[in-house]
Amino acid sequence: MKKLFTKAAALAAAMMLSATLAGCGSSPVSSSDASTPAESAQADSASSQAADSADAPDTDSADAPGTDNTEALGTDGADSDMDYVKNKGTLVVGITDFAPMDYRDENGEWIGFDADMAKAFAESLGVAVEFVEIDWDNKILELDGKTIDCVWNGMTLTAEVTSAMECSKPYCNNAQVIVVPADKAADFQDKDNIPEVSFAVEAGSAGEAQASALELAHTPVTAQADALMEVAAGTSDAAIIDSLMAAAMVGEGTGYADLTYTVGLNDEKYGVGFRKGSDLAAALNDFFAASSQDGSMLEIAEKYGVQAALIAH
Amino acid sequence: MQLIIEQFPIVIRSLNIGFLQTLKLFFVTLIGAFPLGLVIAFGSMSHFRPLRYLSRFLVWIIRGTPLMIQLLIFYYFPGLVLGTPIWGSGERGRFLAASISFILNYACYFSEIYRGGIQSIPVGQTEAGLVLGMTRRQIFFKVKLLQMVKRIVPPMSNEIITLVKDTSLSRIIALQEIIWAGQSFLKGSQGISGAIWPLFFTAVYYLIWNGLLTSLLGYLERRLDYFK
Repeated sequence: MKKLFTKAAALAAAMMLSATLAGCGSSPVSSSDASTPAESAQADSASSQAADSADAPDTDSADAPGTDNTEALGTDGADSDMDYVKNKGTLVVGITDFAPMDYRDENGEWIGFDADMAKAFAESLGVAVEFVEIDWDNKILELDGKTIDCVWNGMTLTAEVTSAMECSKPYCNNAQVIVVPADKAADFQDKDNIPEVSFAVEAGSAGEAQASALELAHTPVTAQADALMEVAAGTSDAAIIDSLMAAAMVGEGTGYADLTYTVGLNDEKYGVGFRKGSDLAAALNDFFAASSQDGSMLEIAEKYGVQAALIAH
Repeated sequence: MQLIIEQFPIVIRSLNIGFLQTLKLFFVTLIGAFPLGLVIAFGSMSHFRPLRYLSRFLVWIIRGTPLMIQLLIFYYFPGLVLGTPIWGSGERGRFLAASISFILNYACYFSEIYRGGIQSIPVGQTEAGLVLGMTRRQIFFKVKLLQMVKRIVPPMSNEIITLVKDTSLSRIIALQEIIWAGQSFLKGSQGISGAIWPLFFTAVYYLIWNGLLTSLLGYLERRLDYFK
């Protein structure tokens, strides 16, 4: 009981602290205590540290005068994000179930263009790879909270994404397309003359950005798949989703045989996101360059039918 | 229809795995929250003022904020603010964080039900016990406790049944319980994509489980009927 109260108190202190940190901008990337695995013990010490520094900000940051509380929590730059990942021995990759980039095969194993590339990248770092399904809305929370190490899931490089994450160079081309019932497809062929109907888009997605830019009436839903469901169920007239996903999921021989996709609204690119300031992004760029030159990237792309969209490095 | 019949075995297997996670969270929450709720109830009734205020403050915070926010705070704050994710990686860490959030949340609701139950016992019984030379501890365990248990069964049943459905909130931190499992077939999983029915079919699981619980709790209520 007492322990619980202590934890609650630590949490309350943490909340207050976070309020004071709100103006600091960049989030802590590396951590001085990241190297040891005794996680709960660390948390306790870290929390008391946090409480201490809230009381007397100067004691913990005496070696670096003029630093604020963020530094006290361990952004000293001594350990890079790469060291953090190598020390713990696992690259945790945040994904959603998103064919053909990340999806499960019959044995429950994660495969797909992104999944296979992530496995190869982790191997090049000499660490194991772990795939974790996340809620796409929470991807930045997951990264900054260190519950994952990267977002590698056909992520469109939007301004929001590049400002909140350290992103790799783009590796794949994509576009946002309109998905409609096949019998209405004829009305949706001209980008400059889209009928005024209700659109379903994934909240926080590039599709939503397009809908806003074109001033289309739209409803945000939690996932691109939910946007498709809206159209199938008739609760929305059309959806805006990624072309790679639309190619894989609607039309003949899929679960949405009555739907089709029409005009592309824009050109955009996929990238991999790491924590802000992480040196892993540069490492991945080198890895992309190497695997682009030796042809292994193209080989994996052909396996999943995305070679046409691939960007050479 | 033909398609659904083909998909059925794959979907059911996936939903079963998800529902197992739901049940695990359900039982862990009950096991943790039953005793913790009693501790908080005693805190709220304590004659020692700081403890009473602290307990009531905790109950106010937990009951006054959405469980969904509590889940997000418990799971992400250690890593975000302290720089160290304490829950461990993967599904296990998510389950641990969800368990702690649910236990604390339900303990606070239970504590108020317990308090109501305890305070509903006429004060005359305590006075009679004291006159007979019983200690307060004896009065609570030998006289009041079982009467309290009988009185709180209906409101507790309410909470327990709500808990079954509330476990679905844990999907906000990507705990893969049954709703998550049902939703995965929408975007595509194990060769099935765009299937809407698995998500709706999850309701059958909740309904059957709550049916079992309702009859079990009804039986318990009848067994305790000898206190008039």
